Amino acid sequence: MLDQVKQKAKEILEKKEADGVLGLRKGLFDVIHPHVFTVPSELDALVLEPKWLFAKMARAILREKPQAWRLAVIVRGCDERAIVELVKRNQIDRERLLTLGYACDMDQAKACLCSRPFPQKLDAGAAVEGVDPLADERVKAYLEGDAGKRMEMWAAQLKRCIKCYGCRNSCPICVCVPCKLEDDVWVERGVIPAEMISFQIIRAFHLSDTCVACGACQEACPVGIPLMTLQLSMREALKKDYNYEAGLDANRKSPVLFDFAKEPRPGQAVPDWVDSMGKKP
Amino acid sequence: MAKIGVILCTCFGEIGRVVDLESLKTRLEADPAVDFVTIRDSLCLPGDATRMQALIRERGIGKVILGACSIYGKMEFVRLALAREGTNIRTVRAVDLREGCAWVHGKDPVGASRRAANQLEMEIALLQNRQDSKDVAIRVQQEALVIGAGPAGLSAACGLARLGFKIHLVDRGSAPGGLLNVITKTFPIDEPGPEKIKNLVDETGNNSLIRFYGKTKVSAVKGYAGDFKVSLAGPEGNTALRVGAVVLATGARVLFPQGMFGYGKVKNVITQMEMERRFATGAASCKTAVFVQCVGARNSERPYCSTICCPLSLKNAMRVMDENPGAKAYVLHRDIMTPGSVLEAYYRKALQKGVQFIRFDADRPPEMRGQDQVSGIEVFDTISGVSRTIETDLLVLSTPFIPDPDATALARMLNIPVDKYGFYAEVYPIHPVETRNDGIFICGTARWPVASDQAIAQGEAAAMKAASFLGKVDLSALTMSRVPGGKLGHAVADAAACTGCGNCVAVCPYQACRLQRTGNRSVSRVIKVRCKACGSCVSVCPNGAMQMPEQNYRAVGEMIRRAFREVR
Amino acid sequence: MSAERGNVKILVFTCRWCGLIGADGAGRKRIELPASYRVIQVDCAGYVEPDAVIRALASGATGVAVLGCHVGGCRFNDANHPALKRLELLKTLLDTTGIGGRRLLLGFGTAHESHQYAEMIVDFHRELEGMPSMASWLPQGE
Ligand SMILES: Cc1cc2nc3c(=O)[nH]c(=O)nc-3n(C[C@H](O)[C@H](O)[C@H](O)COP(=O)(O)OP(=O)(O)OC[C@H]3O[C@@H](n4cnc5c(N)ncnc54)[C@H](O)[C@@H]3O)c2cc1C
Ligand code: SF4
Ligand code: SF4
Ligand code: SF4
Ligand code: SF4
Ligand code: SF4
Repeated sequence: MLDQVKQKAKEILEKKEADGVLGLRKGLFDVIHPHVFTVPSELDALVLEPKWLFAKMARAILREKPQAWRLAVIVRGCDERAIVELVKRNQIDRERLLTLGYACDMDQAKACLCSRPFPQKLDAGAAVEGVDPLADERVKAYLEGDAGKRMEMWAAQLKRCIKCYGCRNSCPICVCVPCKLEDDVWVERGVIPAEMISFQIIRAFHLSDTCVACGACQEACPVGIPLMTLQLSMREALKKDYNYEAGLDANRKSPVLFDFAKEPRPGQAVPDWVDSMGKKP
Repeated sequence: MAKIGVILCTCFGEIGRVVDLESLKTRLEADPAVDFVTIRDSLCLPGDATRMQALIRERGIGKVILGACSIYGKMEFVRLALAREGTNIRTVRAVDLREGCAWVHGKDPVGASRRAANQLEMEIALLQNRQDSKDVAIRVQQEALVIGAGPAGLSAACGLARLGFKIHLVDRGSAPGGLLNVITKTFPIDEPGPEKIKNLVDETGNNSLIRFYGKTKVSAVKGYAGDFKVSLAGPEGNTALRVGAVVLATGARVLFPQGMFGYGKVKNVITQMEMERRFATGAASCKTAVFVQCVGARNSERPYCSTICCPLSLKNAMRVMDENPGAKAYVLHRDIMTPGSVLEAYYRKALQKGVQFIRFDADRPPEMRGQDQVSGIEVFDTISGVSRTIETDLLVLSTPFIPDPDATALARMLNIPVDKYGFYAEVYPIHPVETRNDGIFICGTARWPVASDQAIAQGEAAAMKAASFLGKVDLSALTMSRVPGGKLGHAVADAAACTGCGNCVAVCPYQACRLQRTGNRSVSRVIKVRCKACGSCVSVCPNGAMQMPEQNYRAVGEMIRRAFREVR
Repeated sequence: MSAERGNVKILVFTCRWCGLIGADGAGRKRIELPASYRVIQVDCAGYVEPDAVIRALASGATGVAVLGCHVGGCRFNDANHPALKRLELLKTLLDTTGIGGRRLLLGFGTAHESHQYAEMIVDFHRELEGMPSMASWLPQGE
């Protein structure tokens, strides 16, 4: 697969479809780091492992470069979805970016609890079926069962946060400057551990309809909080209610932003009134 | 920072006997943001506003909190009274200590006093943190666009032109008149349809302020209330206009009862519209005519009453008897709807004339008899309790008005809501010809099924409302609101913080947010005139770049923190 | 794990066209209500941002109510539709964490009348009383 990717990447550069290819390079002392390949011969040093998300980096590179400059990015499924979300949010100019997608193998899919371990535009490798994160026993423990117990479980987990902002920084969708998590109004500053509700829940909610389940936040967290798990039920709710999944279609914005006429819930009538305690008007 | 004056009201004990106002006063006086706290027995009696204003002026403060009854009690009036005395109403806030506090916590004075303290302190936080939205002045274009030249549109156009406004009257048909053009006799006084609106049509032609555009449609509307930029597509090509207001009078169409009572297959099963056409062409001869009411109306899909079909059947039943000596006419109905003195008299007239009325039940509708040609109709008469079959050679179905197919597109273009069925939605219940978007008015059957006299009346009403809007000439965007005292503010995006994610653009129900490209990124910008201060954009902006200055996130954050602050 | 009994603090966000009218009516009828709630008035439910709801819970509120007009009756061109959608999504998140989506009460069109408003406050108060304490989530709690 690596050869296939190299071949395609070379073609892209040779045919001048893009001015640079963003991928991983095995460099000096075998250190692996992201790199923009600009000449075909360089691509011999291309590698695909470890998992690395380039979406945000691609955004930064394109902002630096002149308008005519185009970038090709070597992406996995999650990275492609992240790019789609960034395109949707006007962070990346679709015209200036192309992707070279390859499929993850089953081991990777299992490690990530990924339900779509392949990009929609697949250029190399064969897609394997994903795993359903909600069927995973570890995930279930955090999402199902007695609410009181779960509240304590999550509290115990989130309390370990050292407020390094790693989750936010690694998340391909979190691009805001300033970020609410650094504002005293929302999150008390200089306090460790963070106020769990306002820090973790605000962040989780900001990603409610944009999280592409890449797992970057979780992987970045130095204390190992299962952060992606926090997003799963909201992703599931959007899938169920609106048949919506983030990262698939750059032309469809989150259904949560529109009224029921524009984004109805298929199979459900628009309620005349809503009351979460079940009262009637 | 301008300090805050707090005026508390005992309401002659209504508040004072539950809420401990004296301790409250002491507590609030300790707040450095507060200039003074005063306790009165009333704020709403004659002279109170003047006295308060004197105090406000003497202390030189601009921000006032009224701790008294609710805004639905007297406080909205008091705010307005203070405004008349010269206080800036935008910085006068009311905290409900009576309906919302003393009266619901009468048995818990301690709890009530705590709550009062918290609520007042929250309001102080709001006033401390609030900022002023920049106002924008709109030069209102002294012209109006009227879409649809039926009775409603004609009367709106003439009404406005009589007041001196220049009118562009647009119709997709070639001549003005709308539906009435094809109706040769109209209830309730039997004059021909065109006759009924002749004076309006003539006036349209004679008044130089009205320009009629036949065979023309509106292709785009941009801009905002007071200054809409309109493009028309007509036989002479495209026309660009700038108008201050738009009146929608696009009428409605009638439901085709495909498949009901054999309609479409069986001969001489026709709609009321076809009946009118038969009268017009002199092809209405028959021995018996049976009119069936509420076909496709007042059911689960269309629960509404179309209002004109009952008088319409009376009219046509009588006409059948007049034009075909010896003919019989039946009206099969669920209820006869002839409200008002004129229509009820019309009903009496039909009764006297010998039109027969048979009432049926919605659960047991009449059944048509006949194969290629209608031969009769079987109906269960709910009053006599027997089923009978009427022999007939003509069956006329009264079907309801339904929205015009173009209405949805126009509504979207003008950004106004439609109701459940697709008619333009009024601002229910107290602004019958206004829409949720300023400067856009509705009338006639486009709004709801009505007869032509009401369509004309509504056209006049819309003209008056549009005129009072146009007449403002210089409009301040901040006053464009139904909230007494004006709009809360305009949302504003911080260009430095905005990432250009477009959430606000997607969510704004008034299409007030726009993305603008600056350099290599996009930034949101709010068109202030369009913004109605709903706050949706603020709620979906991930990092708080979008704010409502008057109730910004610092204010709200501080209010939340103060909500349950310990009291004593 | 102690319950919230005795510690109920409800923050009510209400739009001025619906819940506020209900509140007013409840007062006129002198319906006795627990003094455990505080009201923030907004022009439209669309203004209630989920982050503010979260902030309220983080600041010690045990429950938050958002009251708006019925779904077809928004004064702001259906701004309450997306508001409802996003707050329902927030409920999902609160459920995930065990904090409980029930701590967020959504009343769209059901608090316009005085008795409805009153019933809502009383019932919500009672419901929160029975919920497990959130103390472990708050900064000072352990
Ligand atoms: C069969 C029948 C019989 C009736 N008999 C009577 C009666 O006897 N007495 C009575 O009082 N009422 C009667 N009515 C009711 C009467 O016709 C209506 O109340 C009246 O016509 C409504 O006027 P209007 O201006 O709202 O709409 P309309 O008369 O329908 O006029 C709408 C106009 O808007 C134009 N238009 C629509 N869409 C567009 C667009 N997108 N762009 C440009 N132009 C557009 C149309 O061409 C039309 O000219 C009858 C109705 C029917 C169906
Ligand atoms: S899984 Fe985490 S890092 Fe990835 S998109 Fe979701 S929130 Fe962001
Ligand atoms: S946490 Fe929220 S505000 Fe911060 S970067 Fe992510 S989306 Fe933006
Ligand atoms: S990465 Fe983990 S430790 Fe760092 S801020 Fe996020 S949750 Fe806290
Ligand atoms: S406050 Fe409402 S109307 Fe104004 S710009 Fe924001 S979303 Fe649009
Ligand atoms: S929602 Fe906020 S960040 Fe996004 S475009 Fe609007 S103002 Fe900018």
